[in-house]
Amino acid sequence: MKSDKSKNNLLLKYMDFSINSSQNQSEYMNVMVNVCSTMLNLLKHENLIIDLNYNPSEFWPKAKNKTVAFVDGGLARNNLFNSSPLAIRAGSYVVNKKLKEEAFDTNLKFVLNLFDKQNELFDFIEDESFESLMLTKKKDAARIITEAGQLVNHILTKRKIDLLFLHGPIQAVLTPFVQEGFPPFTNLAIQSIIPSYKKKNMSVDDRHFINVYHECIKLIKNAPYPIYGVLETAISSAYTRNLLYAFKTKGVISQKDYDETIKVIKEYRITDNNIFEVILKKNQALKPLEIQKQFYGSKIIQKSRWDEKIIEYPNVFVGFIKVNDFQSPIRIESYNYPKNLINDFSYILAVSKLLPSYSYPVGLHVVDRFVKIPQWMKKASKNYWSTHALKSVMNNQKLGPNSLVLKYISNKNRTWANRPKNSGGRIEK
Amino acid sequence: MKNNNWKTIGTVLGETNINSYLFMLQSFKAKKNDMVTTQTSIPDGNGKIIKVNVWGKIANINCSNEWFPRQAAQEMAFQNINIEDTPLPTSRDELICKVNILGYTKQDDKSPKLLPMVYPVKPANAVNYPNSNDVEKLLISDLNSKHPIHIGTLMARDNVEIKIDADSLVSRHVLVTGMSGSGKTVMVRRIISELMRLHFPMLVYDIHGDYLGFVKKQNIFPKNKIKLFYPSLSVKAEDKEIIYTLINKLGKPLTEPQNDYLNTLLNKVKFDESSIIKFLNSLISFSKGLLDTKNSKSKGSNTMPHIKPATMFVVNRSLNQVVKKLVNMENTNARHRQRMSKFYDFEKLPDANTEPEKIISKGQLSILYLRGYETLPASAIVSILSETLFKHRQEVEQQIPPFLSILEEGHTLIPSRSENKDNLPTVDTFRKFASEGRKFSCGIMIISQRPSRLDETIASQCNSHFSFRKKNQKDQRFVRETSEHYDAEDVNQLPSLANGQGIIGGQVVNFPLAVQVKFDDNLLNDEIGDEDFITAVENWDDKESVKLRKKFAKDFSKISKSAQKRLN
Repeated sequence: MKSDKSKNNLLLKYMDFSINSSQNQSEYMNVMVNVCSTMLNLLKHENLIIDLNYNPSEFWPKAKNKTVAFVDGGLARNNLFNSSPLAIRAGSYVVNKKLKEEAFDTNLKFVLNLFDKQNELFDFIEDESFESLMLTKKKDAARIITEAGQLVNHILTKRKIDLLFLHGPIQAVLTPFVQEGFPPFTNLAIQSIIPSYKKKNMSVDDRHFINVYHECIKLIKNAPYPIYGVLETAISSAYTRNLLYAFKTKGVISQKDYDETIKVIKEYRITDNNIFEVILKKNQALKPLEIQKQFYGSKIIQKSRWDEKIIEYPNVFVGFIKVNDFQSPIRIESYNYPKNLINDFSYILAVSKLLPSYSYPVGLHVVDRFVKIPQWMKKASKNYWSTHALKSVMNNQKLGPNSLVLKYISNKNRTWANRPKNSGGRIEK
Repeated sequence: MKNNNWKTIGTVLGETNINSYLFMLQSFKAKKNDMVTTQTSIPDGNGKIIKVNVWGKIANINCSNEWFPRQAAQEMAFQNINIEDTPLPTSRDELICKVNILGYTKQDDKSPKLLPMVYPVKPANAVNYPNSNDVEKLLISDLNSKHPIHIGTLMARDNVEIKIDADSLVSRHVLVTGMSGSGKTVMVRRIISELMRLHFPMLVYDIHGDYLGFVKKQNIFPKNKIKLFYPSLSVKAEDKEIIYTLINKLGKPLTEPQNDYLNTLLNKVKFDESSIIKFLNSLISFSKGLLDTKNSKSKGSNTMPHIKPATMFVVNRSLNQVVKKLVNMENTNARHRQRMSKFYDFEKLPDANTEPEKIISKGQLSILYLRGYETLPASAIVSILSETLFKHRQEVEQQIPPFLSILEEGHTLIPSRSENKDNLPTVDTFRKFASEGRKFSCGIMIISQRPSRLDETIASQCNSHFSFRKKNQKDQRFVRETSEHYDAEDVNQLPSLANGQGIIGGQVVNFPLAVQVKFDDNLLNDEIGDEDFITAVENWDDKESVKLRKKFAKDFSKISKSAQKRLN
């Protein structure tokens, strides 16, 4: 017989919960199976699943004459007082093996001059583990706009390219950047990102992320070659929801079934990846589906003064490719429905097969490594700024010991919190 | 030495020290064992800061392509994909070279000499590729040799000639090692050619006949004498130990009383400075006489009363056996000589006691042809001759000039203690040469394909090493342990050296050099280069007697078959 003491034992409770929770797990699995089988039927009905041919020894000798560009961005950020990204760059790897061309470019670089300081929010964070929301947003905006800028750069230089791939979504979700007080970009940054954008009398709004990004996207959509954003994971269920919405609109499924299914997907947090990982087999792909990325089902999620502008953002075509049996399918985004769907998706499959374990286009892996801002550069800048900050305080007679600066120059901010360690008070032997 | 026209080929990486540095190399701009320089500032003895050129040798090159993941290689291998068809980058390989610093030269030095480095190279400095003329100029200037001799070219640059110091070579002893076919003989031929140009006397103990080519090519060396000898040694009282060992090793194992008797014989029979066989026959006759006397006298005779006739008989039999073996070997040697008599004139080895100048004289190359002799007699012959010549050099009135002894098959004639063959007389002889030879201007050059089986004392006294390809781990370890001249990287490349490529280290050069030895094809010995067995068989024609034997064999087989049928 269990004693009262044993009933309160944390370990026993934990074990008991683990055993009983299997019911929850099996329930989840039942839901997943049902959702997946329904989705499979819908996809088959719409003929959305395609089988891609993978025969690398024949494919690559033919594909070597393509000029293919891979684009990614790299970001370095230290906890400076203004907390804006310290350095960011976007790079490309453009390759044509037949012409023996392998070009690595970093056309866009910014060091501190990306956001307009007059409209800056000084949100220095004391603890890296609790990054402020605004800081995260600014980092994301910096990354998104430099990557888009790099695509624009390629388009404007009229370089002959057959296929271009971006590491990440072709269109970012805009809601984080519509918050009041989000800083605009500097004139200089905009000129670098999109030289064709209006040059005179740019208002603060003109320099706002939503407007600048939209200008970039217009150019990207009209590019003379296909541009695809490729993501390792899809944490949303946009494809599934849009597919269901399309079926509901057509009257194939009832409003009730639609609502209940959407509710289940939300409740169980089922993502596109969860579903397609189960449904798709190796070397299979889902034809792209047109998706309104910013609003689901024409319903504006968050009201802001940018809503009118956001509606102007083009829809995105989203497809999936399952590269192998043990990785989630990769998500492929583009602004236009691919003219050569099978050819382009076959290329993506083949280039991803070159990283058979990671199952992601190897060219994007290469450019990711290329643009990464190295650790030594981050450290050097941190050291430089530490010294600068400390000297500024020491030179000012009026200021006493400044904990803010000391926090800044300490190796890790949390070490300044002086939290006692477990070993504290132990007698030295 | 100015570096105005030296191309920049790379950049020094972040951490350096006095002995070495790493640098990032531009693709295909230099290779292993190549010489590079970098300009740096160092403090001089007066506290001034001076700019110098730091010279180094590329000891190793590592290549990496960080954008070529392992899993991509896996897919390519399994699917038979050519990287040149895929978007995988191939143009961004990182080439990191390790440079072992050789020293520095002052910038305006007209005859540059390498000085030891005292301050590390500055990181981020440019690394330059000095032109070949400057490299050659530095090597010869730094060698500072009265008698430089040409050996070959720098392995990494075939337009940089390499010379070594002949004075150190003939006085400080040399060890030439490498597996069969790696280039040892090519190197020795090269050295002999160069020393002949300097009229330096040499004596080659030629076990296989590798050096007979010199005799035939006498016309290439009009100012030199090339003599080819076959062994015929006179024995003296001093050689008693050698004779004793020879009998002991070639004959039957003797018991203690039998050995006593043999010693008695050696003490009683006079060394008349005749040949070994003649001397052994004298021993046999003397012993036979004693045995006859003993047998003919009655019991109680006082002729060696403690020795039994059976003991005498066994020793006699053993001596006869030794003589028989020696005669056999002499005959084998004679047959080899006979076979080559149309090409070469063999001379009987002159008496080294009385006529040493016929063996060692200015401008003369003497080759002692030892083919056909087993190890022990060969060792005895080499030992007796070497000791005699050495003695002449030790005398106040030296009868022969300084000379170099060249010993082939070193591991056979001067084996390591671990081989349990330390009774070979050559071991002691060459130990004496190794330790005292320099005093009396008797240099040695030992050639061996198994250096790990060489006598350690002699090997360690060789101040210069020429190492050719070695696959055997023990031999590589031996080189690593016995030669302080080599870097670890030098030893590591030994297994992969090509024919004629070798590492020279020691006193003949200032720092270890990877060289391609010049191949003297005009010294090739066509008559000896007969390892082409298949061609020999292709060109084979039976002798008349064999043809007849084969012809009649068929008839005889019919007779024997018919006889067998009848029996059945």
